[in-house]
Amino acid sequence: MALVEGRNISKSFGGIQALSEVDFAVDAGSIVGLIGPNGAGKTTLFNTVAGAFKPTSGQVVFDGVDITGLPATAVCRMGMARTFQVCRPFGAMSCLENVMVAAINRRPGEPRAAIERLAREKLNFVGIPELEGVEARHLNVIQKKRLELARALATEPKLLLLDEVMGGLNTQEIQQAVAFIRSLRDELGLTVLWIEHVMGAVMQAAERIIVLDQGRVLMAGTPQEVVTDERVIQAYLGE
Amino acid sequence: MTGKQLTAVSAIILSGMCVLPLGLGIYPQHVLITSLFYVMMAASWNLLAGYTGQVSFGHAAMAGIGAYTSGILAAKAGINPWVGVCLGTVLAAILGLGLGSLCLKMGGIYLSLTTLAFSQILHIVIVNEYDVTRGTMGLQVPGLMGEYSKLHYYYIMLAAATLILVILYRMIHSNLGMNFRAVQNDETAAAAVGVKVLQMRVLAFTVASAMAGFAGAIYGHYLLLITPEIPSLDLQFYVLAMTVIGGMGSFIGPVIGAFTLNILAEKIRDYGEYHVLVYGLVALVMARFAPNGLIGIWHRLRPAKPR
Repeated sequence: MALVEGRNISKSFGGIQALSEVDFAVDAGSIVGLIGPNGAGKTTLFNTVAGAFKPTSGQVVFDGVDITGLPATAVCRMGMARTFQVCRPFGAMSCLENVMVAAINRRPGEPRAAIERLAREKLNFVGIPELEGVEARHLNVIQKKRLELARALATEPKLLLLDEVMGGLNTQEIQQAVAFIRSLRDELGLTVLWIEHVMGAVMQAAERIIVLDQGRVLMAGTPQEVVTDERVIQAYLGE
Repeated sequence: MTGKQLTAVSAIILSGMCVLPLGLGIYPQHVLITSLFYVMMAASWNLLAGYTGQVSFGHAAMAGIGAYTSGILAAKAGINPWVGVCLGTVLAAILGLGLGSLCLKMGGIYLSLTTLAFSQILHIVIVNEYDVTRGTMGLQVPGLMGEYSKLHYYYIMLAAATLILVILYRMIHSNLGMNFRAVQNDETAAAAVGVKVLQMRVLAFTVASAMAGFAGAIYGHYLLLITPEIPSLDLQFYVLAMTVIGGMGSFIGPVIGAFTLNILAEKIRDYGEYHVLVYGLVALVMARFAPNGLIGIWHRLRPAKPR
């Protein structure tokens, strides 16, 4: 069953058509990659799905509910979390506090001690427990990405939207990250929709891939189908 | 600081504040009373600017709303000043709710300009509605108690300021405070982790405005003559300077800033018109060498222990 589904989504900014008639579906419990050349509309699609933008037309259905045009806060509370392509930590707050903000809004009545424990758990899970007291603005890019992930996980989502989490990693780190993304699904039971430029990583971790090009879905299929598709090769390599 | 230490330190400071005016003359007592008014103003403005990132220029105007509501009701309708203080607080809260909602989609300079306009409109209305407000002549209002005593007013102000600070402290250290800071740091990210951004912003606006209205109302009944000086930009920027120089976004910073600047103001009165210049210099030096205010200097000298 599809956990999140886009039906005929279009989005334009002034005269620029960023998305046209995009249809897609992400099955519950799957890892789906979203790829496409620069400017294809991947992040715009994310923003439309996660409630940051209202689509010009079309529908977003999450967990059986029409969430088109709902604000980001409401979408988050329904169980969708995201990370940002350019990290947006709460710079003047400690890493622990960053994660706690997410946790207190998921569990409003919970005592402070329980919230802190939960936040530490998430920092541990993403591998930066030693940074809990450090203000987030002092982190390097990779640490910030991990922090964002911990923060997203603390909202206890069903669906996680990841926007380019592999940028800046070396080959070995990419392997670890691939294993990590798999563990999100296998251990936490999350569904993952994932924008990525590091092609090798997406091909390894995702079961299905959606290819966007110039605001349209070029194709969707298994990694094998995608890499051998003429249109995809053309979109990436040109004529 | 642990909870117990904090309670102990607060109790010591508070008892110190209780005995402080006893040996002092009337003039130093007056300076302390006005300082306490500014403590309330700066601390509540800090909730807006320092914790949710809304640099409002309408805070002095809210104090004016409180002062004039309570003052007019007492002077013209004979209503008990304490009831007036409550009504002034409520009216400021309602206007804060309105102004905050109006500024919901605005950030930065746009919010500042809108609140500036509000403040100016209010100022113009008060100056021109001579029949009701007595314009720049000022409106004579009754005091809070039968017999006028500086010492009594001092204790009333101290109690009021303590009340405001306790409410602010509890707010800032609750989940609300954490949400406020998240909103200030990054609204988009805050919304993405489930913070009700708009609600937080309006709430901060309403609470801060109510506090300014409360402070202004009591202050008016202390002065016995309320003039458009209260809802003026002079007072607004004075409060702003106190908060920034003390340390914006820290709990104790505005309190220190209010006392420091208000006492400094009394010292530099001798310079006449040039006292503005001295302020400017202080602000300039602080901005250059201590952007986090006095409290920032303190933290730098005494690096935080790892938790």
